[in-house]
Amino acid sequence: MDVVVEDVTQIWGGERTQVVALDRFSHRFRSDRFSCLLGPSGCGKSTLVQIVGGLEQATSGRVRIQDPQKGDSQRPLGADSVMVWQNLNLFPWRNVIDNVAFGLEMRGVARNERYEHADVLLGSVGLRGFERHLPGQLSGGMRQRVALARALIMERPILLMDEPFAALDAQTKIVMQEELLRIFDQTHKTVVFVTHAIEEAILLGDEVIVMTARPGRIKEVIPVNLPRPRSLEMINTLEFGALFDRAFHLIREEVTAAMAQQAEMVAGH
Amino acid sequence: MNGKQGAAKFAEAALPTLSVVFFLTAWEVFVRWRGIAPIFLPAPSSISFYLWRMIADGTMEYHLGVTLLRIFAGFFIAAATGIALGLLMGMSRIVARVADVWIAALYPLPKISLIPLLIIWLGTGEAYRIVISAITAFFPIVISTYSGIRQADQGLMKAAKDLGANTRQIQLKVVIPAAMPSILSGLQLGMGVTIILIVAAEMIGGSSQSGMGYLLINSGQVMETEKVFASLVVLAVMGAVIIKLQQWGDRKIAPWVAHDDR
Repeated sequence: MDVVVEDVTQIWGGERTQVVALDRFSHRFRSDRFSCLLGPSGCGKSTLVQIVGGLEQATSGRVRIQDPQKGDSQRPLGADSVMVWQNLNLFPWRNVIDNVAFGLEMRGVARNERYEHADVLLGSVGLRGFERHLPGQLSGGMRQRVALARALIMERPILLMDEPFAALDAQTKIVMQEELLRIFDQTHKTVVFVTHAIEEAILLGDEVIVMTARPGRIKEVIPVNLPRPRSLEMINTLEFGALFDRAFHLIREEVTAAMAQQAEMVAGH
Repeated sequence: MNGKQGAAKFAEAALPTLSVVFFLTAWEVFVRWRGIAPIFLPAPSSISFYLWRMIADGTMEYHLGVTLLRIFAGFFIAAATGIALGLLMGMSRIVARVADVWIAALYPLPKISLIPLLIIWLGTGEAYRIVISAITAFFPIVISTYSGIRQADQGLMKAAKDLGANTRQIQLKVVIPAAMPSILSGLQLGMGVTIILIVAAEMIGGSSQSGMGYLLINSGQVMETEKVFASLVVLAVMGAVIIKLQQWGDRKIAPWVAHDDR
């Protein structure tokens, strides 16, 4: 499934103080592609994935979900995608297996069947034996796996990830990135991955969409032609270094611009 | 473990008990040494003798049982109505607006001030005691339930929606569980005031001549100070047991909430 974003603009606030979060953002996120949205904080990248996921209403513009062969999806926006959140949003009162099986439960799947299904996913993210634990009893990395399994069980063709690894420590982050790469190679979904980490964007993505500081527009799309399966060792290759430099220079301009904007806003108040 | 740590552990475990023993001993010695009249301050030994006698002849069980029944009746009425209205307020803006006016007007009113009116309307029987305690407990329960629902994490609601939950499922499976800790703390506050109000109502206009409040006021009026103290001991233990049971129940119902109390 392709995600076709057309002229999406998002304006926050009332009549007096308007903040343009996204300004006529257009892009086609292609099937079987891992697309990374990279930009300074406040550039509207989280807003964009929420709009794509049908969880926020855009001020103007539209998002279509399109099968390259069959055409536009007739289902409501959000029905073909699932989100992994930066703060995970696990239900703290549900144990691991009931968190993972939540989507099936809402669909009315019988308990035995959904547990069977959830068990497979827990196995694939290495969480067997923790079914009855509450999220509060798990480490950050394990909670992240629960969140991932909870999204994957939906078997939706589009996976939206909003800075999912930002809160993890460096080592756990590496492990989770490798895990995600492995899952991507197996499932072939359309992935839209929001991050502010350049290295992460290049390591994971088939393309890196560099966004401007507020209002968020596309500054440049960098194709990443590193071979798959990807591995962490690629970070030391020349190609990776060249991609990193390119993204870094683009991002530096935008971060500087964002900081100037913020300074202006503070001075203005 | 070295000696120092061991001593500290022992002190932590034993000192609370020792402090009680010390206090009671000092009380006993003081009363005997100064020859204080039991009508004014009875010694712990004679209080416990009276307590034992009241238990042996069944008076204490009877009054305690009656009081407990009243407490639970008042509490359950308050819990059922308070949680129901709190949930309705959380789910309908109109209900919340209307109820808010009434709560704002009635909540700050000391509920004891309603006793004369309730006695006029309901007499001094069971109905009056249970109604006064239920009214008092109702407010903290309804307010906690409503605020628990309003403060339910927006992120969790969005996540549920994303995972295919409809509005009803979001309310049932996300909003209410998310409000649970707040509802439970409302119930704790409610239980506290129910105990106070039932015992107070038993003291005022006691036509039924039963209950711990009646026992207290009656023993006081005939200057049986030992019985007053014995009743106080039983009331204190009863309160502590109810609160502990409630905390234990809360941990069973909402084990995901970090409890600071031990």
